[in-house]
Amino acid sequence: MENISISLSENERDRVSEIRIDGVIDTTTSSDLEEVIESLLKRRRYMIILDLAGVDYISSAGWGIFISRIKDVRNNRGDIKLANMIPNVYEIYELLEFDKVLKSYLSVDKAHNDFEDVKEAEPGKKKV
Amino acid sequence: MFHRPVKEITAEFLAEDKYLDSIQRTVRDSCISAGFSRKNTNAVLLAMEEGATNIIRHAYLYEKGTIRLRIVIFKKQVVFSLIDTGRSFQPDGSGTLDLKRLVNSGRKGGLGFYMISKIMDSVEYISSAGYNELRMIKRIHKSSAGSVPFLRRMFSLRVKFSVWTIFIVSIIIAGSYYYIDRQTTQQLRSNLDETVSSLANTIAAQASLYIINRRSDAEFDELIVSYLQSNSNYLRLIVLTDSNNIIMAHSDDIHNIRKQYSLPLSINSDILEFPQVMDEEDKILKFLIIPIKTGETELGRVNILYSAAQLQVRLDEARQNTALLTLVLLIFGILGVYLLSSYFVDPIVKITRRVRKFTSGDLKSELPLEGAEEFFEISKAFNELMTRVSQDRENIIAREKMAKEIEVASHIQKTLLPRELPALPGLELETFYRAAEVVGGDLYDVLRIDPERFCLVVADVSGKGVPASLVMSMLRTVIQIYSTDKTSAKETLLKVNEYLQHNIPPGMFITIMLAIYHEIDKELNFVSAGHNPMLFYRNSTKKIEKLNPNGMPMGMPITIDTTFEDRLEEVTLKLEEGDAFFMFTDGITEASNRDGGQFGLERLVNTLEKQLSNGTSADTSILRKNLIAEIDDFSGFIKPADDITFVLARSITYGNNQTTETKTIKE
Repeated sequence: MENISISLSENERDRVSEIRIDGVIDTTTSSDLEEVIESLLKRRRYMIILDLAGVDYISSAGWGIFISRIKDVRNNRGDIKLANMIPNVYEIYELLEFDKVLKSYLSVDKAHNDFEDVKEAEPGKKKV
Repeated sequence: MFHRPVKEITAEFLAEDKYLDSIQRTVRDSCISAGFSRKNTNAVLLAMEEGATNIIRHAYLYEKGTIRLRIVIFKKQVVFSLIDTGRSFQPDGSGTLDLKRLVNSGRKGGLGFYMISKIMDSVEYISSAGYNELRMIKRIHKSSAGSVPFLRRMFSLRVKFSVWTIFIVSIIIAGSYYYIDRQTTQQLRSNLDETVSSLANTIAAQASLYIINRRSDAEFDELIVSYLQSNSNYLRLIVLTDSNNIIMAHSDDIHNIRKQYSLPLSINSDILEFPQVMDEEDKILKFLIIPIKTGETELGRVNILYSAAQLQVRLDEARQNTALLTLVLLIFGILGVYLLSSYFVDPIVKITRRVRKFTSGDLKSELPLEGAEEFFEISKAFNELMTRVSQDRENIIAREKMAKEIEVASHIQKTLLPRELPALPGLELETFYRAAEVVGGDLYDVLRIDPERFCLVVADVSGKGVPASLVMSMLRTVIQIYSTDKTSAKETLLKVNEYLQHNIPPGMFITIMLAIYHEIDKELNFVSAGHNPMLFYRNSTKKIEKLNPNGMPMGMPITIDTTFEDRLEEVTLKLEEGDAFFMFTDGITEASNRDGGQFGLERLVNTLEKQLSNGTSADTSILRKNLIAEIDDFSGFIKPADDITFVLARSITYGNNQTTETKTIKE
């Protein structure tokens, strides 16, 4: 089975956390990613960007992590944003209608900007 | 209407993560050969991984097995099947999966199934007695849907049959029409030639007499004109010439007499007594030259121009009639062919419709036995097939009903097992229960009789499944009722037996160990009705003693020379600090491993001795965990043959255990 490498960088200023993932997110590797996300949520860091440029494949175990957390994250005025999906992954994301639940961005910067916009526009507004 | 598979692939893999890659390779190859787009191939791969992972994780949770992969490629769709023989699963909320609900639930379960149903065009989960099949259908969308298959589909078998038959019949009719027409035309033409030839010979014979008798020009003229007039529908011109080619008579113009006769350009003057064609293309006008002879001397010639035009008109008329007749025949033929096609096609259509109905659930109505022998046989075979399938279905339904009942019984049984145990002052208590099948026949219970006395029970009802479970629940209730009245273990059990002996189904018996613990006296008083020995650990010697007082199992037929009461022996022990006792069922000692070896009593004694001799500092919950681990390590992945139950209690000094009122059972 392929391996996975996860690197986490946290921006203290805007409290946005960026997770760069390389490899395959499937049943065997998803627990590693889940731990990282869970640790962020425990510390109430709800603004998360996942940089998926290096991800070739996401199985249900992977999607499950995002889908199962998104409600809780949004209730805490955060979001899980997906950036840099490769075409193969993006097609599946679209086909499975995950685009109705999770936002995707062409780059990490764009995802960052989206967080900024929301904060500037109205800090108290509930993010949909 | 009917499609043959283009290709079928079957493969079997061990249900382990490391074989997922091989499964995926097979799936990918099939997708490519079926002509899926890259996007669809990726999607299918994902769905198949979900299916396979689910089998590995859930169907084969407790045992090892294989995944059978079957891929059937049709022209327009591919059927992917994943088959296993493990536990069946219920896809929760099947059919009504929706993403919103999944998101709101905040759970991950069901996502795999959601993905499969989103990717595939149709998903079916078939589960019957030890066979589970996840059948997924994905249609092949080809961008250039050729027009030929469409046209081909438009025509039903009946139309195809009719068109082809009519086509062949028409060719045969047209061919024979053409042949007959040609023959007739030729026949008529040669008839005309013969008629003209004999006419010309008659004229020549008369003319020869006229010449010899030196008849007048007018008489010559009259001769030819009378012939011409009486045969005007084909004779066009008659010219009589003498041996010097001077016109003696001309049917067109009398003034041509005595002039030199010139033949039409295309006519050869040397060809005598044989019709020549005026125009090579037309062939309607013909020219015949007959010599006028007397003896061997040629006196002149009869030149006749005649036409087949009139003949042609008659021929055309005849042809029209024939064509009309042919057309009428053809129309009747088409009708006939269409009706004939019904003879072949109708039974097929009927059978097809019936099969359709069958697949949508109607198992009852039968096909009428009619038609030619072959169709009769098909209908008969199909009816037999349906009968068998519906029988099988009933069996499956019955089995599933049974499984449901067992599930219910198992649920009832779980509610019967103590959920909370009373805190026993001066004792550390650990219990364990694990059913071998869905419904087990083991029982344990710890009851408070009065503030000072507690009753501990471990029992094993012979047999497993629903009956054992039902007897067990009865036993538990009876013990709960009688234990409160009686003070000694023996008295309690006698009372229980008195009630039960008439209520245990014949052939079933119960071994039981019933102990009463007195908190103040620190005394343990117990009886065993044919049960496994009590393992009593004495802290002073650090050794385990196997205590096995006499007693017959309850429900055993009573013999004349001995009764249950006579045989039942009671033992009373004093508990010192650090002493422990262990009550269990033979599920532990008879737990077997792959090679057929048993865990055995000695191994159990040794394990407990080792654990307990570590002193009171070790937590009993760790003791419990270690013991379970020891048993599981021994039996490996072998399914336990019998329930495993035990109660472990260790005597401690007062005060250590006063904090908790009750203890919640953990598994």
